[in-house]
Amino acid sequence: MMMYIFRWSVLSLAGFVMWVTTGCTRWIDVKPPSASSQEALTYSLPGNERVPLVIDTFHTTKNGAPQHPSPEAERRILNSVQVTSLFSTLIPLGRKSDVLGKKIVSARITVDEAIEPHSGLSALKGMLIGGSMFLLSPFIKLEYDYAARVGLELERWDGYIKRYESRSSGTVHYKLFGATPVMIDELKRHVTEACLADLTGQLVRDAKFYMGSSASVPATGIRTVTVRANRPPTTSLSLSIVPIASASPQ
Amino acid sequence: MMRSARQTLIRTFTALTVGAWMTTASAQAMDISPAITVGTQEFGLTAGYLFSHRLTDLHTTKQHGPALMPSWMMTITDPIGDSWYRGQVSLGAEMVYLEFREPLLTHGVGFTPRIKYMFVALGRLRPYAEFAGGPFWTDLGGRIEEQANQFNFVLTGGVGVSWFFTSQASFNIGYRFHHISNAGTAFPNLGLNASLPFGGFSFFF
Repeated sequence: MMMYIFRWSVLSLAGFVMWVTTGCTRWIDVKPPSASSQEALTYSLPGNERVPLVIDTFHTTKNGAPQHPSPEAERRILNSVQVTSLFSTLIPLGRKSDVLGKKIVSARITVDEAIEPHSGLSALKGMLIGGSMFLLSPFIKLEYDYAARVGLELERWDGYIKRYESRSSGTVHYKLFGATPVMIDELKRHVTEACLADLTGQLVRDAKFYMGSSASVPATGIRTVTVRANRPPTTSLSLSIVPIASASPQ
Repeated sequence: MMRSARQTLIRTFTALTVGAWMTTASAQAMDISPAITVGTQEFGLTAGYLFSHRLTDLHTTKQHGPALMPSWMMTITDPIGDSWYRGQVSLGAEMVYLEFREPLLTHGVGFTPRIKYMFVALGRLRPYAEFAGGPFWTDLGGRIEEQANQFNFVLTGGVGVSWFFTSQASFNIGYRFHHISNAGTAFPNLGLNASLPFGGFSFFF
């Protein structure tokens, strides 16, 4: 009799532990943006060849609706660009610097997020779980999808424009007792990081394009200044191009 | 013994009320915007008073008494919809304790899965509708004409409103219709019906 009680106690305990642990599981699947993102993310540019990168515009949308861009998202993108060591300085949106010179790269960033929380299905599954007195909770999987597209348009000082784009998506699969707001943040972070890793990989492949010596400052800008300036000839045109003398064209 | 437990419950509830009221005063100047997302958990403590409804001539029991309902819930959806009905679904469980003071001093304890739809369009003031049902044991069963046995089920549905005094805590009031019966497992099974106005607090994290 004692053996019988002991056996069933052990089995019940094991079943309960399995039920709880299975009911608390969650995992994240992230689809890699492309197969070509495995390259090295840094490129050794000589210091005097690096030019500043200035964020010109930053647009974000969520499920197609325009959003106010968050400083955190911009910082994350800038951090990713920073590790490539392609640029001498990174100037965030709205910041001005007087010591940039003429050779700068302007960046226009777009981040489009798509969120699919499967709310209707989750509500239905919730009713099933509740109706089963939570016994089905280890067996019913809930899902939350997130996709991101990061676009980066870089305009070189001579007006030449290059566009980069990366897409990634992911799904967090979870059981009811494993749900937490942190898992959504984790999913978004993983997807965004995958996007940025791919994007910086594309950027590094074009490293030579952003070398200070890759192009000269166009003369058209100088002519414009000359036409507009209604000043005596003492405001010499040659002075305006002095700051970029170190990055002279080859 | 029971009177002491009841007094403890009343004191606890009063302390929570006063504490929440004091917190509210300091929270007035803050911008309260509840951030409830998928996975946000809610712990609640609700108390109310049960008033009987005798829906037929066969119902004679005038049961009434206090109720205490601690609960746990998990938000399982992001806000659904784009209009006034925009809201979120939560799923959880609730313990219900009832003390019947009439016709006999008896008690009841139940466990009910609970589902709630909370409207989010009004900011910190969030109405909700809820439904719960589950097993319920009471020693009133078998001692009254309506219910033959002690093991029963409780079904309850109602509406309420949560007012967030911080981004993670709310004061709740509402009304529930309360039904107790045994699903035909014994006869008679007329059912006990009651109104249950309630108030309480929820903490979100």
